[in-house]
Amino acid sequence: MRPEIADIERSLAGLFEAQVTGELLGVVARVSLADVAGALEALKAAGYETLIDFDGTDTGELIELTYRLRSYALDLEVWVKAPVAYGGTIESMWYEYPSALMPERETAELLGVHLAGHPNPKRLLTTDGVEPLLRKSVAIRTVEEVRDR
Amino acid sequence: MSAIGISALKVLAALGLMLANGVVMIYMLRKVLGHLHIRLGPMHVGWKGTLQTVMDVLKLLTKEDITPRAVDRWLFRIAPAVVFIPSLMAYAALPFSDTWRVTNLDTGLLYTFAVLSLVPMGILMAGWASNNKWSLLGGMRAAAQQIAYEVPLLLSVLPIVMLVGSMNLGVIVEAQRGTVLAVIPRWFIMNPLFWPTFLLYSVSALIETNQTPFDMSEAESEIVAGFATEYSAMKFGLLFLSEFSNQFIVAALTVTLFFGGWTLPWIPEAVSNSFGPVVFMLKTYLVIAVMMWIRGTFPRVRIDQLMQLGWQRLIPISLVWIVFSGIVIKVWS
Amino acid sequence: MTDHCDDTLGVGLLCEGQHEPGTPPAGLRRAPSGVDGLTTEHLIINMGPQHPSTHGVLRMIIEVDGEEVVAAEVSVGYLHRGIEKLAEHRRYDAVGTLMDRGDYVSGIMGELAFALATEQLMEIEVPRKAHWLRSLTSELNRLASHLVWYGTFGLDTGAMGQFLYAMREREALLDILEAISGQRMMFNYVRPGGVVADLPVGVEEKIRAFLGTFPMYLDEYDQLLGGNEIFQARVKGIGVIDRDMALAFGLTGANLRASGVDFDIRKARPYAAYPELDFDVPLGAKGDAWDRYTVRMGEMAQSARMIGQLIDGMPEGEHTAKVPRIIRPAAGESYASVESSRGETAVHLVSDGTEHPYRMHYRGPSLYAVQALEELLPGHLLGDVVMLIGSTDVMLGEIDR
Repeated sequence: MRPEIADIERSLAGLFEAQVTGELLGVVARVSLADVAGALEALKAAGYETLIDFDGTDTGELIELTYRLRSYALDLEVWVKAPVAYGGTIESMWYEYPSALMPERETAELLGVHLAGHPNPKRLLTTDGVEPLLRKSVAIRTVEEVRDR
Repeated sequence: MSAIGISALKVLAALGLMLANGVVMIYMLRKVLGHLHIRLGPMHVGWKGTLQTVMDVLKLLTKEDITPRAVDRWLFRIAPAVVFIPSLMAYAALPFSDTWRVTNLDTGLLYTFAVLSLVPMGILMAGWASNNKWSLLGGMRAAAQQIAYEVPLLLSVLPIVMLVGSMNLGVIVEAQRGTVLAVIPRWFIMNPLFWPTFLLYSVSALIETNQTPFDMSEAESEIVAGFATEYSAMKFGLLFLSEFSNQFIVAALTVTLFFGGWTLPWIPEAVSNSFGPVVFMLKTYLVIAVMMWIRGTFPRVRIDQLMQLGWQRLIPISLVWIVFSGIVIKVWS
Repeated sequence: MTDHCDDTLGVGLLCEGQHEPGTPPAGLRRAPSGVDGLTTEHLIINMGPQHPSTHGVLRMIIEVDGEEVVAAEVSVGYLHRGIEKLAEHRRYDAVGTLMDRGDYVSGIMGELAFALATEQLMEIEVPRKAHWLRSLTSELNRLASHLVWYGTFGLDTGAMGQFLYAMREREALLDILEAISGQRMMFNYVRPGGVVADLPVGVEEKIRAFLGTFPMYLDEYDQLLGGNEIFQARVKGIGVIDRDMALAFGLTGANLRASGVDFDIRKARPYAAYPELDFDVPLGAKGDAWDRYTVRMGEMAQSARMIGQLIDGMPEGEHTAKVPRIIRPAAGESYASVESSRGETAVHLVSDGTEHPYRMHYRGPSLYAVQALEELLPGHLLGDVVMLIGSTDVMLGEIDR
């Protein structure tokens, strides 16, 4: 279920700034935004055929993208994380992993990043004019505020 | 009374029967489907819901008749009439008993089928005129389906016409009078030669009347209400009244062609002739109940599978069976 | 949806309607002129979001050539309630109410995913009885969810009776779940640390009574719908998803197993009481809609089997670990998957040590299934569209969140 860190480092050899660590989450490879495409292609060649999940987290300074890859043949899972600035551009990985089509649209829309290379980069979940909801800067009313309205 | 007066009364009686049929059949449908689905159907309006359809008709009469802005005005208005009038006309040749019938047509069977074949034209008009893509699809499906199945419908009953020697529905009923060996009625359904005929006819009849499993033109889960989506109030009422009326006609034809019409075999003729209409209506409603049973159980066929069924299977088998039964009838007589 | 699209934050996404008038929206093509100078036009039909058949507010924009689908675009978002954003402002034991409303037909499994993710960050041990109760309610909920799938699948084809028979069984199940958790659908039963309450008196008899008749009814329903030739003709051979396509689109659950990939999270990454239970995992071969049908019917039978084992072997003990009134897990990141009735429901939880989650991402399996629909539909007929939506069992609640 958890691959060997050495194996992942070997697959990602040649990509600068690829740090592979073992955490509670699993084996996580942190790469820079420019190396994401290369990392995912390398991992796909190493046998990780499926992109099971893709999301983004607003850390307060930047947005951290998380890709979760799985190999059914080897029964292994690996994580790839990459930081992107607010308003930055992410390259769509749909040509490698078509399962990224809608999650990328959703992440771009809800976290406020641009999406490049996607065949249908329209909004997915919210209407026009809505700000990127998952950013920490977008406030919602707290439970107490709603209750005491 | 003058001949014209009697004819006018007969036409009015047929119209009255058509409306009464609609009321009873809609209630029956809701009850039959309800009990098949482990629920009750209408229960509140009247005793066990018997007044429900009457109230529904009143509701339809008082509803606002909405004509969408972009429809084809004249086609939209007359399409329900083009669907309703042939359904009414089809009552002309049905023999309710040896004296009770609107007319005594020598080409009764052909006349009924010919008149029913005008209905898909009205459905196509309704689908086109509604200026709605879903209605258009429903109308196109109805046209393809119902017009295509006129052929197997008529071909399937030709063996009976060959045996009886006439297309007069009254003569066909008379040919089924009496019993064989004093027990088995001489109904055509008991004749093994006509079992494939019955099968072909019942499938074609279900398709002609847009009943599940062949109700693609109004497949609710796919295309909302199909050709009738844009119709409201009484225009909608006319469209669906004529659908139920067609169902009655086809069931009545089934009874006439296969189940002995208004005759009852085991009772002396003089007695059974007097309540012929009651027997006829009872038999017809039994057939309708079976059609509703099928409606509540079977899934729907896909439109291309339906067309394949007709052109690749029903028509060749009908033609082969006509030839075969012709030979058998000739040899036996 | 307004026509005016203001790109205030410079996000740079195309808005709906922001294309050249007279050209089709992104993804749809125009027909070339037909042969012999006969021009045919493709019809662009809008199916949904309100529709008697789609399983929720799913909108599909389909380009048809007569009855054949040429291109399709799926438009979701009509049920977006901001579950992920709301979770950042709730305490950990209240997030379960949000997960209930994701895949609202299998609420227990959504709650369970979140509870497991939280427990990875807390240093507690969940008692054995809680595991068994979680599995019991999960399997009851899986049966209820599959019955909804079965009923609506039949209803889509026009078979009305099957829907009501499935609902009759589901009433018994919802009765049992109401006795256990207090609610028929939005259970809020599984919390970090265990479950809310133990089995009440009398529930065991109800479950045994249900199990006494259910296998017989399941066979009957399988015969009614699956044994019907018209249904088989409509379902066999359509919507073929082969292994490569299933993996490429990230399908999980019955959709994946119907394509021949043997991966069930209850066996591959066991959680709750599943390591101790004895069950099989039905597999398909071709990956068409018929295989998806048989796989789910098989799963229903296996769920009934598991419920019997769970009720027979229910251990004694506490139904929850001792958790503080306000849960503050350690700072960190965790991820938990469960096998829900639609596939792999997973929660990616980022905690900063406070009483509210920092980020909760909810992976709904139907999102991946609905993407695959866009690829699957071209080439099929219009009548197959509803069959495909029904056979992949999409639930809009977990797509839109």
